[in-house]
Amino acid sequence: MSQNKTISKIRILRYVILAALFIIVARLFFIQIIEHGQWVAKADEQHTLLETITPKRGEIYMMDDDEPVAVVLNQSTYQVVIDPAVTEKAVIEEVVNKYVRDYAVADLDEVYSEEGLRYAVVAKNVPREIAEEINESGATAVWLKKTNQRVYPEGDLASGLLGFVNSDGVGQYGVEGSLNDTLAGKEGLIKTTADVNKVALSIGNDNVKIPAEDGANIVLSVDRGLEKGVEELAISAVNDTAATNASVLVMEPDTGKIVAMANLPNYDLSNYSDVDDASAYINFTTEVPYEPASVCKSLSFSAAINEGVMTSSTTYFNQGYEIVDDWKIQNAEQRSMLYGTIDMKTALYWSLNTGSIYALKLLGGNPSAINQTGREKLYDYYYNKFRLGQITGIEIIEAEGFIPDPNEGWGRDSVYANMTFGQNLGVTMVQVASAFSAVVNGGYWRTPTIIEGNLVGNEIVPLETEKVEDKILSDETSAMMREMLVNNRNYKVNGGIDRAGYSVGGKSGTAQVIKDGAYDDTMSETVGTYIGYVASKDEMPQYVIMVKMSGEGAYLDGGIASNLFDTVSNYIIDYYKIKPGA
Amino acid sequence: MISQTYVTRREPIGNSFVRNRNTVRHTKKSLGSISQVVIIGMLTLIFALIYVAEGTKATSFDYELSSVESEITEMNAKLEDLSVEKARLTSVATAKNSTVAAAMENATVTGYVAE
Repeated sequence: MSQNKTISKIRILRYVILAALFIIVARLFFIQIIEHGQWVAKADEQHTLLETITPKRGEIYMMDDDEPVAVVLNQSTYQVVIDPAVTEKAVIEEVVNKYVRDYAVADLDEVYSEEGLRYAVVAKNVPREIAEEINESGATAVWLKKTNQRVYPEGDLASGLLGFVNSDGVGQYGVEGSLNDTLAGKEGLIKTTADVNKVALSIGNDNVKIPAEDGANIVLSVDRGLEKGVEELAISAVNDTAATNASVLVMEPDTGKIVAMANLPNYDLSNYSDVDDASAYINFTTEVPYEPASVCKSLSFSAAINEGVMTSSTTYFNQGYEIVDDWKIQNAEQRSMLYGTIDMKTALYWSLNTGSIYALKLLGGNPSAINQTGREKLYDYYYNKFRLGQITGIEIIEAEGFIPDPNEGWGRDSVYANMTFGQNLGVTMVQVASAFSAVVNGGYWRTPTIIEGNLVGNEIVPLETEKVEDKILSDETSAMMREMLVNNRNYKVNGGIDRAGYSVGGKSGTAQVIKDGAYDDTMSETVGTYIGYVASKDEMPQYVIMVKMSGEGAYLDGGIASNLFDTVSNYIIDYYKIKPGA
Repeated sequence: MISQTYVTRREPIGNSFVRNRNTVRHTKKSLGSISQVVIIGMLTLIFALIYVAEGTKATSFDYELSSVESEITEMNAKLEDLSVEKARLTSVATAKNSTVAAAMENATVTGYVAE
């Protein structure tokens, strides 16, 4: 009987063991076959190191005496991070006061008064040396988080041109935004077996290492010293007038190279989020089309001269206004001595709208009225030859602007009459400066450029981009325009502003502002513009300078802008040591 | 291996041997099964140790590499710091605010030598 019992127990035990074995086998089957992928992934997670390799963002340089100098650099800094739930306030206070007082960004009282807070940054932009000191001190209450930041050794210089890099590492506005892909480089990848310390091991068959490609170092054609000087003069001009904004563009007319591009007021690039008005980020020289007003007379006059229908001594009858499409278009200058028959040189000197309208009439072959031929010819010069209202090809963000169609739409004659003196169209400063350069440089329109090249080692490698050089005006037209533009500044020579031994030519512009869909005839707010060039006497122009001054509700005319032009042109003569001509 | 047993002529020997004659007896010996297991085990252990040593050597290289890479990163960070410092020291603002610049006078007349 008892023997039977024993046999039965053994059987039961056998079944139990078999059942246990079955469960184990089933579980193993489940893990190894059914959940195979999931467990492999978990194992990979523990033993595989998968990291993206961050490339070094390219630096930005300006020129100084033919040498590139850094204006935007990279630097590794640290954030000091705490967990208020586990660290006493007194301990943190001691660390902050001892090491990072100058970099503190948080009020510890506020941090510790917030319930449930587990993460707080108490200091930012802490230099590496101080971070090392904190590390060596053995302070366990804080963590150091490495960050990369852009550094601006020249402070806020050319902020509107340079732009900034946001917290995601993406370039915004200016050169940073326009050339983000070039500056950012390409991320690399490392996938390898790692040990418990996360040290990459060379064992394993699936290791991948794709090195990061660092961003290109970009050298701007902007001259650092000139940019600084021009900005200081522009700040001074803003402070002395009702203007709140000033933009200055300095270009070499024989190359299209931009050597200064200022947008005032500047902002602190390191604390870009502190600006009150986001318009501070905008580069007004390339991104904002506007009506440049009478500076365009130098273009409409050039068109008529180049077509052989007008010279500087061509005369017309000035009655102080013109009626076009039932609109009365008046001259701003109404002094009596100008009424009657005057020549085009005088018309340009006094910036008479009737003079530029007459040039449009001559373009159409009918001195009595504006016609389709005249409109189409002006359009051809403005759009196709001077390339107004279209992208110039400069390497940074730019707006197109617009030139009205010569035939489609109501009131084409009045629209085109206005266009002769720079209204009813939208163009950027860089478009006008490029067109004006063609007027004075012998007739060559050249693609404006602001990039000298990439800095590779110590060598500047020019970019292989397509540049246009198009002869759009004759030598004679250009020479005649230079003569008229220099004549425009006779009063500046007589006033001792333009120095003897130099040829300085220019043209002013006072643009009305559109308010509620119409021009504000009260002239309560205007934009002052001036464009001109500087050269040794009777030599070809060496620098074209364009300035624009504006302010909310402020009357700023071409005369005010010309004062800034005067200081800049004289500064350039000194800065570049331009020798006076005989 | 075949071993040889030498028997002196002066010692008494069994009846089957002739007096005063040298005799040689050849005996064949082989390893026992335990010895074979031990030897194979030891060889396996040696190979395993060699394998582990090589593997460890590769890992130690990886650690060395990791350390060198950290050093490179550190040096690059120092280079960045120095570049920034250099740029700050040579910036226009620094030059303008320097004591040297403060002691300078504005040039009133620029003279040009006739060529």
